[in-house]
Amino acid sequence: MSTETRTFTCPYCGESLDTQDGLKSHVFKSHKGRGLPAAEGRIKLIINKAEHTFLVEPNWTLYYLIHDKLGLTGSKQFCDRGACSSCTMIVDGRPVLSCMMLAIECDGKTVETVEGIAAEGHPLIEAYVNNHAMQCGYCTPGFVVASKALLDRNQDPSEEEIVEALSGNLCRCSTYPQHPIAVKEAAAKMKADKKAKAGV
Amino acid sequence: MKNFKHFNAYSVDEAVALMGRYGERAAVIAGGTDILGKMKDSILPAYPEALINIKTIPGMSYIKEEGGMLKIGPLTLLADIAANPVIKSKYAALAQAAGRTASPHLRNMGTIAGNICQDIRCWYYRNQNNRFSCLRKKGGRCYAIKGDNRYHSIFGGSVSGGCFAVHPSDTAPALVALDAKIVTSSRTIETEKFFEVKPVKTTVLKADEIVTAIQIPEPPAGSASAFLKFALRRSIDFPIVNCAAMVTLKDGKVSAARICLNAVHVIPYRALQAEQAVMGKKIDEALAEEAGQAAVSAAKPLEHNKYMVAVARTLVKRCILACEGK
Amino acid sequence: MSKESEIQTERMIEMFDNLKADKYPLQEYRYIGQKIPRNVDGLAKASGQAEYTMDIQLPGMLFMRFVDSPYPHARIVRMDTGKAEKLPGVRHVLRYDDPGLPETENIGYFPIFQNDRPLDCVAHFEGQPMGAAVAADTEAIAEEALSLIEMEWEQRPFMLDPVAASEPGAPLTYPERYSDGNFWNRGVLDELIHGDVKKGFAEADRVIEFKVNRYGHTWICPERPCGVWRWNGDQAEVWVKNQRPFVAKRDITTWFGGIPMNKILLHMPYQGATFGGWTHVDWSFGGLYCAAVVSKRLKRPVKYILSRREDFYGSSMDEGVYLVKVGFKNDGTITAVDGTVYHASAIHPAFSPVVHFHENTRVPHLKGQIKSIWVNKGPSVGIRCEMLVPILVQTLVMDRVAAECGMDPTEVAQKNDGCQGHDMNWLNEQKRKRGFVVRDSLKECIEKGKAEFKWDELWHKPGGRKLPNGRMHGVGFTWGHEWSDSTGSGEIAIRIERSDGTATLLGIHCDNGVGAETAYCQIAAEELGMRLEDVHFNPQFDPGFHLNSPDSSCGTSANGFAVRHAARILKQRILESATSPSSPSQRGSYAPAFPNMKPEDLDIKDSRIFVRADPSRWISVADYARLMAIQGPVSNAELFGARSAWTEPLFAHAFHVQEGEYNPHSPREKFCRQAHFMEVEVDTETGEVFVTRVVNVNDVGKVINRMSCEGQQYGGSIMGVGRGKLEEMVHDPVTGVMLNGNLIDYKIPTIKDVGPIGTVLVETGLGYGPYGLVGIGEDIATVVPHLIGPAVYNAIGAWVYDFPITPGRVLKALGKI
Repeated sequence: MSTETRTFTCPYCGESLDTQDGLKSHVFKSHKGRGLPAAEGRIKLIINKAEHTFLVEPNWTLYYLIHDKLGLTGSKQFCDRGACSSCTMIVDGRPVLSCMMLAIECDGKTVETVEGIAAEGHPLIEAYVNNHAMQCGYCTPGFVVASKALLDRNQDPSEEEIVEALSGNLCRCSTYPQHPIAVKEAAAKMKADKKAKAGV
Repeated sequence: MKNFKHFNAYSVDEAVALMGRYGERAAVIAGGTDILGKMKDSILPAYPEALINIKTIPGMSYIKEEGGMLKIGPLTLLADIAANPVIKSKYAALAQAAGRTASPHLRNMGTIAGNICQDIRCWYYRNQNNRFSCLRKKGGRCYAIKGDNRYHSIFGGSVSGGCFAVHPSDTAPALVALDAKIVTSSRTIETEKFFEVKPVKTTVLKADEIVTAIQIPEPPAGSASAFLKFALRRSIDFPIVNCAAMVTLKDGKVSAARICLNAVHVIPYRALQAEQAVMGKKIDEALAEEAGQAAVSAAKPLEHNKYMVAVARTLVKRCILACEGK
Repeated sequence: MSKESEIQTERMIEMFDNLKADKYPLQEYRYIGQKIPRNVDGLAKASGQAEYTMDIQLPGMLFMRFVDSPYPHARIVRMDTGKAEKLPGVRHVLRYDDPGLPETENIGYFPIFQNDRPLDCVAHFEGQPMGAAVAADTEAIAEEALSLIEMEWEQRPFMLDPVAASEPGAPLTYPERYSDGNFWNRGVLDELIHGDVKKGFAEADRVIEFKVNRYGHTWICPERPCGVWRWNGDQAEVWVKNQRPFVAKRDITTWFGGIPMNKILLHMPYQGATFGGWTHVDWSFGGLYCAAVVSKRLKRPVKYILSRREDFYGSSMDEGVYLVKVGFKNDGTITAVDGTVYHASAIHPAFSPVVHFHENTRVPHLKGQIKSIWVNKGPSVGIRCEMLVPILVQTLVMDRVAAECGMDPTEVAQKNDGCQGHDMNWLNEQKRKRGFVVRDSLKECIEKGKAEFKWDELWHKPGGRKLPNGRMHGVGFTWGHEWSDSTGSGEIAIRIERSDGTATLLGIHCDNGVGAETAYCQIAAEELGMRLEDVHFNPQFDPGFHLNSPDSSCGTSANGFAVRHAARILKQRILESATSPSSPSQRGSYAPAFPNMKPEDLDIKDSRIFVRADPSRWISVADYARLMAIQGPVSNAELFGARSAWTEPLFAHAFHVQEGEYNPHSPREKFCRQAHFMEVEVDTETGEVFVTRVVNVNDVGKVINRMSCEGQQYGGSIMGVGRGKLEEMVHDPVTGVMLNGNLIDYKIPTIKDVGPIGTVLVETGLGYGPYGLVGIGEDIATVVPHLIGPAVYNAIGAWVYDFPITPGRVLKALGKI
């Protein structure tokens, strides 16, 4: 926890509180009927294992924060309505659609984007390249993230399980048949690497 | 999206108080997958001044069996409901419905209460910038009647005859079939009575009322439930027709049946005639067929949705047979 | 003649004589034809590093959005932008009546119809961006500002149905362009007559007629239309999401009194798919023009963006009503086809409905008419591709005739195979004349396809097989020719880099995903004798050479030739350089790397220059190039009395031009064929059609990049299934408003929606491209959509002639509703 030297002053009685939430609770308890101060928008995120603090507007989606403000442009926006999964990120271990999440509601969360997955040298990346699991490439990061989330929870997925996990990801170039092949190849590599490590 | 105020509620009381203060000027945000779409497209005449986040209320996400009931917290994610072994075995219709809702990543965000409280998907209602200020937005009329109504109600309009938009939830009919109750911050309601059709409302919830639990009684011995969904695509799509059923057999004959269609009417449609058709009888293909026929006997299709009648009839039949293990 | 001149002459002959079989294939292929990983762009795309125009962020950049017309046909009467201008964060509102905007401007694609208004005041379809453009600090603010613009409209009558709009007395849908009726043929290719259909029908044993409705479908590119403009003084720096960089520059150079070409810096980032579509619309650079105007005024970069809904701007040029009449003999031979299409809002030349009959059958009597009628929907353009119209007709005619005769459609296909009304004997004679080997492409495709698909086991009478799961089983077949080798030009250069001898291809084109860059590296590596890993191509920036773009439409042929020419010329230069005195200067020269040898004594393999007679004598291209890498310090060394060698730049450029084949009146006979098989299950209680398997067989002449070809096959099949059973643009009949301009209500297939796709590639060498290739990109997505029709017919014994084939339409055909 960072040391916060700010204090939050109640606009109605001047009492000082240590945190924004404390102030809100106080106002609610002691000043029923008065308006609550708006949320401050200060959030902390762990993005690809690095801690960040931001000041966000309520109307910023998580996608907008990460793609436009932080400049991690790997995640893409195809529909911006939760219908295509191109903006998929892994938040607190679950693959979710960042365009339909508000940044201001992500305080304290852990986020993995495609950049993080590539940076850690995940075997999926090479498997995707070797198997041509992309054409124009716009939806590819969404697939990579969704596949990685699958492999995190299931190291030996069947073709059916892969298809199910990717069933929300749209691809207009229709590279679909290549993805289960790439994911299986990555899974096999991970299994072999694990064996090798154990063997040593 | 335009900007708005944002509040995190930390208790049900706090949420209710905020909702009371803002009334129609604020909206509740749970998973966010419905409300954010509405705001991005500015479909309503008035844009929310504030969003009240209820995900910060602790203790709202759980699945437990207690006191002869299955209790599910309102913020329980659809993915967790679909994967839960108890629900899969004893309350199969709900697990299947949750598992077929939307897409995998949306199921990691969408909540059960959000799914039954969601707004209609009518493409006139949802057209951007309030292009069609229809009956459900306190405007004049329903644009689907003379327009393209291929996904609209086959059982006529709302009580006042005006709106033909269907209810889009997959889990709602499953909850009706399982005889679930909806617990709110002020009362407990049978699922069937939870839905109503009013301008900018799809439920009976008051402006300062939220769902606090779902309770499903343990099905009696000899019961089985099932859920089927019909859509053009095998993922992502809202239902064009879906059906949930719970059938109880005693001595090989139907002693109880609850059959609910959805996406065919303005609220989930309890197929009472189909239930009557199977009561006391042994289930076979012919009986299920008859029940399907009975289920759509009151159908009044519009110009473009006659096919939905055939689909609804078929789903009722197959859902009954699925309960029987066929 | 020096070898260099010989090569030049050969190149010229190749260039002007690609009406014959390729005279210069290689004997052995090391890279061409192999499965190569996507080395050029794959890592960038998989890791999120690839940058698209939507990702571009520049300091001070503004975001621009447009007003959309809420009405299908209306004129702005009054527009008050005062409130919008005052919204904090809004920096400029550009109005249609701004004195700085010209009446018309070069903002389109086809030279003859490209003059359009940058911001119009009359809308001809609902959703048309026009009226005003707002530039603001964020897209959200720009969007909010749009809602503050007060508009008053004068609504006009509108039409949505092309047949109704063609009737005399129908209200005018686009009076500014056509004031005496809505019939809007662009005057090209609207009619094809061959032989005499009256005679053909008289000769037939039977004559049948049928009508087809094809509803509109659209491109759905994942990246929204957008572009960025930044002025650097009087120089224009531009990023475009567009398919044709040369069109971008051609238009831009005429703007603002003329921007010199050498002052346009064009970036062509990675493209989030292009399938034609936007490139072809009249207004394709309208947004960019507005961005340029505002950027000039505010001295800030401006990015214009269209919303997802605005990208539903237009549809594919097969939307409309088809009236088909066909005469045939009882043995399946077709004697005459007469087709008329009422086609909605074609923006550019449409192809006669019988053009493919003319190009690849022996049917002697043909008549085809396109009636292009403007209706108040967005323009319809070629989307992978323009051949949808004739292919729909060919598929449905061939399969209908087969069904009526009770014959296997693969037999009917071979019975009618030919060209320009002539039979296969004639076609084979043309193959000989043009120097091709005589092979029967269709026969080979069908044989291989039938084996892969197990057609003989699976084919049955219509409605003849019910599955254990209660559904009706059906199989369908269709065929056509491969046309992607047609018209275009490509220019490219290749350079051997100093210091390490790697090869760089220099050319700009649109990377739309087909993997062409890898293919060109393969060709270059093959011809240069270098290792593939030593050859690289980054097509995103503009070195001044324009490849044919996009690649899927004919690019591989024109560009392939250009790459090959450049590589051959460059190889010769390397060998000549290696055998000539090096570093000639005012102070003399150095001995050659290979003294007392001629270029023909050497060769290059594995990036090594070696002596043919004694391969143990070699020097790597890297070391050869490295010998010269001291240009800078040369002068210093010279100062100290030392001398250092350098080598002339090793660089070659080449181009290729081919006149194509989109001219049915003097065609270059097409020899390569394709064949496709589909298996379906139809649920007769719900009307649902499940596509359980597809097999594609494409004779590509010669495979360059195997995985790229397969990618086009399964990609095209899935898009084809989408178009055939899911995709339909829906407009409200009462108001003309588009109802499903989003990805929930407009449905493209998910990974679960199509069964396994088998891919077969045939290589007859019968293409006009280098090594005998013909392209593949457009073919499958264009042919597969209608294949669902015959497959469903085989399942249920009823024809569904409304596309997409949705459950309601199947139930109607079954008589159940």
